[in-house]
Amino acid sequence: MMNNKMTWLAFVLIALQPVSILASEKVYIYNWTEYIPDAVLEQFTSETGIKVIYSTYESNETMYAKLKLIKGEGYDLVFPSTYFVSKMSKEGMLQPLNHALLPNLAALDTSLMDKAFDPGNVYSIPYMWGSTGIGVNGDAIAASEVNSWQDLWRKEYRGQVLLQDDMREVFHMALRIKGYSSNSRNPREIEEAYELLKELMPNVLVFNSDSPRLPYLAGEVNVGMIWNGEAWMAQQENKAITYIYPSEGANFWVDSFVIPAGAENVENAHTFINFMLRADIAKACVEENGFATPVTAALQLLDETVRSSEVIFPPAEIVKAGEFQTDVGEALPVYQMYWEKLRSGSSSQ
Amino acid sequence: MTKSRVRLFSIGLVSGWIIVFGGAPLLLVLVTSFLGQHPQKFYELSFSLKSYIQLIDATYLEVMFRSVRLATLTTLFCLFAGYPFAWLTYRLHQRYRLTVLILLMIPFWTNSLIRTYAVRMILGTQGLTNKVLLAAGIIDSPVRLMYTDSAVILGLIYLMLPFMILPLYANMEKFDYRLVEASRDLGAGPLQTFRSVVVPLTLPGVIAGCIMVFVPTMGLFYVATLLGGGRKLLVGNLIQHHFLVSHNWPLGSAMSLVLILMMVSMLGLYWLVLRRFSARRPIL
Amino acid sequence: MKKSSLLYYITVFAYLYLPICILVLNAFNANRYGLRWDGFTFQWFVAMVHNHGLMEAARNSLLVAVSSASLATFLGFFGAVGMYLYRFRGRQVLQGTLLTMLMVPDIILAIAFLILFILLGVSLGFWSLLLAHVTFCLPFSVITVLARMQGFDPYLLDAARDLGASEGQVLHRIVFPLLRPALLASWLLSFTLSLDDVIVSSFVTGPTFDVLPLKIFSMVKVGVKPEVNALATLMIVVSVVFVLISQLLLKEKK
Repeated sequence: MMNNKMTWLAFVLIALQPVSILASEKVYIYNWTEYIPDAVLEQFTSETGIKVIYSTYESNETMYAKLKLIKGEGYDLVFPSTYFVSKMSKEGMLQPLNHALLPNLAALDTSLMDKAFDPGNVYSIPYMWGSTGIGVNGDAIAASEVNSWQDLWRKEYRGQVLLQDDMREVFHMALRIKGYSSNSRNPREIEEAYELLKELMPNVLVFNSDSPRLPYLAGEVNVGMIWNGEAWMAQQENKAITYIYPSEGANFWVDSFVIPAGAENVENAHTFINFMLRADIAKACVEENGFATPVTAALQLLDETVRSSEVIFPPAEIVKAGEFQTDVGEALPVYQMYWEKLRSGSSSQ
Repeated sequence: MTKSRVRLFSIGLVSGWIIVFGGAPLLLVLVTSFLGQHPQKFYELSFSLKSYIQLIDATYLEVMFRSVRLATLTTLFCLFAGYPFAWLTYRLHQRYRLTVLILLMIPFWTNSLIRTYAVRMILGTQGLTNKVLLAAGIIDSPVRLMYTDSAVILGLIYLMLPFMILPLYANMEKFDYRLVEASRDLGAGPLQTFRSVVVPLTLPGVIAGCIMVFVPTMGLFYVATLLGGGRKLLVGNLIQHHFLVSHNWPLGSAMSLVLILMMVSMLGLYWLVLRRFSARRPIL
Repeated sequence: MKKSSLLYYITVFAYLYLPICILVLNAFNANRYGLRWDGFTFQWFVAMVHNHGLMEAARNSLLVAVSSASLATFLGFFGAVGMYLYRFRGRQVLQGTLLTMLMVPDIILAIAFLILFILLGVSLGFWSLLLAHVTFCLPFSVITVLARMQGFDPYLLDAARDLGASEGQVLHRIVFPLLRPALLASWLLSFTLSLDDVIVSSFVTGPTFDVLPLKIFSMVKVGVKPEVNALATLMIVVSVVFVLISQLLLKEKK
C-alpha cells in the first residue's frame, strides 16, 4: 500500500539520480535487523541522496566486542541499548554529538532526555524506549491475579515461568522486590537479590533469548517477563495476552543513536539522526516495532488505538514507579558471578 | 613435477595455512588464559594463574559433565542412525548414490536456525506431535516436549547427522563387498561377518564420524538454548558468556584450554583403540 | 531394494524433511507465526524479494559458501594426501594442530581471526570471511578424506612410480579419482558449515558485506519474519531442481 508506493517512488528517484551522486555520499549503519523499516531508509536516500549501508548484529555484546576490537572504525551510526551507552562512552568508544546539526532535537520528550546514563545527551539521542514487565496469557491465568514481580515466585507457577536471558533484567526483579535500586552497586544488596532468585529457579521453564512473544503465542508459557513492544505485537495475534506493569516497578530501557569514535561520515550520520527525529518518520518506526518513540509530535499522527495504548505509552506514574537501566561500573563482576552461579547450578528441577 | 616439488607444494601450502590461521586462535587461547583479569578491559597484561584456580569449582565440573553427556548421547544416536544409512547407500546402485546423498544434504542448506524453529513447531504444545496424539486419543492434554532434554537431543541429532553419515559413507564407498561374500562362503553368519569383517574395515569412518559429531556438539549451545530453555548452561554457553558478556577473556580462555585438553585426551584414547584394530598405518 | 531398507530410508528422510515441510507450508501461510493455517498467500515471497538486505545477504553467503567449500576441499585434498602418503618432520604436530582447530569454540575463532586480520591488514568483507571459513572447514575436510585413505595401498603408488609416472601424475591419475567421493562429501560438509556460521562471520565481516545467517539470527531476535521461510523454501526448491537435473544428466550418460 503506502509503503509500496514509497518504495517505487524511491526507486524511480534513485534510478534518475546521476551515478556520481549515488557513489559519493554514504552512511554506514550498524543495527539490529529490521529495526528501521526499509521504506524509511529508502526515503532517506531519496530525500538526501545519501546512500545507507546497513549491517546487522544479533546482540549488544557482539556489537560492543567487535566495535572495541576494530576501534570503532567503519561504522557511522550504532544503536546500543541502555547501559551500553554509558559503558561505551566511559571507555572512549563514542564521539560527542553536535547538537547544532540536530534541529529536530527540540521535538523530543524532555522526560527521556538528560538521563543518568548520558547527562546532557552528549553522546546519545534516544531512538526508541520501552519497558520490561509481566506478560500473562489471560486464557490460562487470570490477568488480575498477577500484578507484581513477587507473584512470579508463587508455588503454583512451578516450571511455567519465562524469564529473559538478560542478567540485569532478571536481577532488576529481585532488587526491586527487596526495595533496592535496579542499578545497585552494593555487593550485599546484589547477594540478597541472588538468594531471592535462587528460590525462583524451580519456577523457571525457559530463559528466553530470542523474540519473547513466541513462547506466549505458542502456548508454551503463560506467565513471565516480556518486553512491552513484544506484548503489543502478541496482542495483535492473540487478544488474551496481557501486559502488566508490576507494582514494584518495571524495568525501563532506551535504545539510542550513537556515533562511534572512529566514524568517517559524521555529518551524514547527524543528517540521518535528524531525519529519524521527524514526526512522520518516528510514526513509521513505532508502527513497525511496537515500541515508544520520544518524538512527541509523532503521537498526534498515530492511530488512536496505538496512541492510547498504555502498553506502548505508559502513564507518567508508572514510569516514575519503574526505573531506567544504567551502567553499574565496577559492580558488574559481582552481578556476573551470581548470574553464573544461578545459571550453572542444578538448582532448577 | 618432481616428487619433492609436489611434496613441498602439498605439505607447504596446507601447513602454512594451518600454522597461520589455525595457530592464531590456539595462540590466543594459550596466552590469554595466563593473563590477569580486569573489570573494565578484556584482560590485563600481567601473568596470572587466577583463571585456572577459579576453574576448580564444582559448578564448572557440573557444566562440563552435562556437556559431555549431551555430546556423547548425540554422537551415539547419530551413529546408530547414520551407520545403516551410510551402509545402505553404499549398497545402492551407483546411479542413485549421489541423489541420496544430495537429498540428505538439501535440508542442511537451509539455515539451521530456521530449521530449529520448525522443530519447535513440531514439538510445541500446540505443535504437530501434540495435535496428532490428541486427535488419536493417545493423550488427554498436551505433553510438554519443548524445553526438555529430549528436545535438545532431537534437535542436535537433526543438526549433526550428516557429519556422521558423510565420513562414514566416504569410508564405506571403497569397501570391497567380496570380502563379505567370502566370509559367508566360509560359513560365517551375518553377525559374525559384521563383527569380523565390516566393523574393523569401517572403523576409521566410524571414528571420523564420531569425532566430527562429538567435538562440535561440545561447543554448540544455541540449539540447547532454543529447544531446552537455557536453564542449564553448557560449556559453550559459558565460554561465550565469558568472552562477550563478562568480558573476562582470561577465564574464557582458561576454560577453553581445559576443554581442548580434555577432548585431546579423549581422542588419544580413540587413537589407541584404533591402533588395536588397524592392520596398517594409523591415520590419526 | 529390501522392504526393511526402504522403510529405514523413509523413516530417516521423514525425520529430516518433516521440519522442512512445516517450513515450506508456513512460507505460504497467511498466519505469520505459523500457529494456525490462515490461508494460502504469496505475500511473504513478495516481501522477500522487496527485502533487498535479505537478498543481498543471501547472495553474499552463497558466494562465500561455494568459494570456501571449494578452497577447503582443495586444501583438504593436499593436506590429507600429504599427511598420509608422505613422511615429514612435524607431521604429528600438524595433525595435532588440525584436530585442535576443530575443538576451539567459535567465539575464540571469531575474536582471534578479527585480531589477526587487523594485524595483517586484511580488509573485512569477502576475503576475511573466505579465509576464516576455509580455516574452520579445513579440519572437517582433511578428516573426511583421511577416513577414506585408511587402508589405501601405498604399493599401488610405488608401482606407478616404478613405471615412470611423475608425482603429479600419480596424484592426478590414481589418488584423485580414488578420493572423489570423499572430496564430494567434504565439499558438501564445508558448504553447510559455511552457510550456517554466525558468530565467526559476525566478527569477521565488514560493514559492506552482510551475510545471511547473521541476518537471520538478528531477525529472529527482533521478531519472526516470515520472509525468512520464503527464502528457505526458495533455496530448497532450487536444490531439488538441481538434483532432478543432475539425475537426468546421469541417466543420459548411460
